[in-house]
Amino acid sequence: MPLHDASYKHWDGVHLGLWHRRLAITRNGLTGCLQNKLTRHLVVTCWITALIVSGLLFIIGQLLVADSVVVKWVSNLSPQLQVFVQLLTSWLEKHPEISVRTTQNILFYYYSVYLMRVSIFALGMAIPLLITSDLASKAIIIYSSKAVSRGDYLLGKFCTAFGLVALTWFGPICAAWLVGNLLSPDWHFFWHSRAALGHILLFGISCMTILSSLAMGISALSKQPKSTAAFWFIWWILGGVLTEIALKSKPWLAHLSFNYDLEQLALATFNIGSDIKTAQENIPILGDMLMRISKATMDALNNPSTSGALLSLVVMINIAAWTVNRRVKPE
Amino acid sequence: MALPFVIETNSLVKTYGTQNALNGVNLKVAPGAIGLLGPNGAGKSTFMKCLLQLLPITSGSAKLLGGEVGTEGREIRKRVGYTPEQDCHIPGMVGCEYVTYCAELCGLPFQVARQRAHEMLDFVGMGQERYRKIDTYSTGMKQRLKLAQAIVHDPEIVFLDEPTNGLDPKGQAQILELIHSLWHTYGITVVVSSHLLHDVDRICEQIIIIARGTVLVHDTLENLKASKKGSAEVVVADRHEALRAACLLKQWPCELLPNGHLKVEHNADSLNPLLHVMRELKMAPLEIIPSPNALEETFVQALEISNATA
Repeated sequence: MPLHDASYKHWDGVHLGLWHRRLAITRNGLTGCLQNKLTRHLVVTCWITALIVSGLLFIIGQLLVADSVVVKWVSNLSPQLQVFVQLLTSWLEKHPEISVRTTQNILFYYYSVYLMRVSIFALGMAIPLLITSDLASKAIIIYSSKAVSRGDYLLGKFCTAFGLVALTWFGPICAAWLVGNLLSPDWHFFWHSRAALGHILLFGISCMTILSSLAMGISALSKQPKSTAAFWFIWWILGGVLTEIALKSKPWLAHLSFNYDLEQLALATFNIGSDIKTAQENIPILGDMLMRISKATMDALNNPSTSGALLSLVVMINIAAWTVNRRVKPE
Repeated sequence: MALPFVIETNSLVKTYGTQNALNGVNLKVAPGAIGLLGPNGAGKSTFMKCLLQLLPITSGSAKLLGGEVGTEGREIRKRVGYTPEQDCHIPGMVGCEYVTYCAELCGLPFQVARQRAHEMLDFVGMGQERYRKIDTYSTGMKQRLKLAQAIVHDPEIVFLDEPTNGLDPKGQAQILELIHSLWHTYGITVVVSSHLLHDVDRICEQIIIIARGTVLVHDTLENLKASKKGSAEVVVADRHEALRAACLLKQWPCELLPNGHLKVEHNADSLNPLLHVMRELKMAPLEIIPSPNALEETFVQALEISNATA
């Protein structure tokens, strides 16, 4: 028996709007995902890598200025290094746009592809919590009996997946770019690295949307949490193996892997083939090192299969949407 | 301003493939405690789900709290509570988190939602178990939790689908008492769907009987009982046999029930003749239940007519 008043009380406050209710679904979903210890560790790891990349950008920035502490320190190590650094910095000072733009674009391409894989892994663990568990426990009925529609529910769940990818990928990359340029010796770095930021935003947002949509589709496939998570990981890993085999015989088969398709999109967005070519032609010493990249690799970098990847991803998203539409119903 | 009717349906039809679950339901239901009766598969749950937009209506129209179901569903559901028949909760959540979340889904700010969640959990009689994961709850706790989530946003009408399913008699009595108080004390209209006539008899004042997707009866319990006058259950402390003998002398069929009550078929419009006999015997009744089986008789009669015409 409660010691306090346990009678029913009426409430005459003002209801909050629809976006608040959608946000509540997203917040609840993200909280659920972050209750998993491994997911929390992944998020922390991603942000630590962002700090490392920021530090790397700081060092690269310092190398571009002749009188910086790093240049002085490296010059003191050996006379050969002193000559190399002086040559490099004098050239870089003359061509800041090429050096900053190219360096950051290449760096953020590789960082994007690396974090994308971490995000795919994190999504794999979150997939059972998106729609699968609600299908299993019939929680859809509870959602549908509240002041949210099926569309609101799906939007909230989509934003959960989107938010998780943002935490493990988009957020760390943007933070690395911002902090790296804030630590740079010159404000012009912001301007010269605008292309890298543009590519990060374009590829990041489109990729987050694609991955979240696919995750929703897989999550709605079954009521068994283990099945949906397994499907995601098997698709990802088998896709990777298939890509290696398919590229040697039937290249179109590689498009069955969403990971391969996203990597093709990354190549097309960051256009690093052109950046490597610019570096080969313009940057002394470093350019010579880059000349060692094989012709086949350069061809792959210069000619990503963009249209095939886009077509494949559009088909996958449509299948995911169809699955969600068919499976997520209150009855 | 109070609405004259909380539910209005016009030729409401719901079909599953070729089977009609609701067959042109026309209803105008005033606020109150409403019992929705019918055998299993009669269409009670379908009727509720159509009103809540959990199922699309095949044809016809329905209004809930004055709003058109189908076009204003989301706005209507802000003012409606629902406890489904089956267990459906969000896995991994603890009780109070779940009720808070349900309140937020209805548009309550987080702080208010949390406060009201605790108030409602107090109201339904849940103690410290509210801090446990729902997956570990007993059936009784789950029923209480379902009621708490249905009323946490202070709805104007609550739909309860088989609210006493799986409960022991004590648990049933407690839940029914809570439901009874929702309308009689707090003015919240309750629609109780059940196939247990006794439950409905205890808490409802309006009765809707559905069978084969058609409304067979819609009336107040008082009217139904009035139409079935002529019998009563008498509770007396002692001298059962003396009363029985006196009734038999008047040629009133009389039966001693296993619960110790005497069932008397006095065949009169009022209880006065029965009271007169008891006065002559100098007996004071502890309780007299007029027309104790009125609901059951009406229910059976309605089903028989329905079966005969089918």
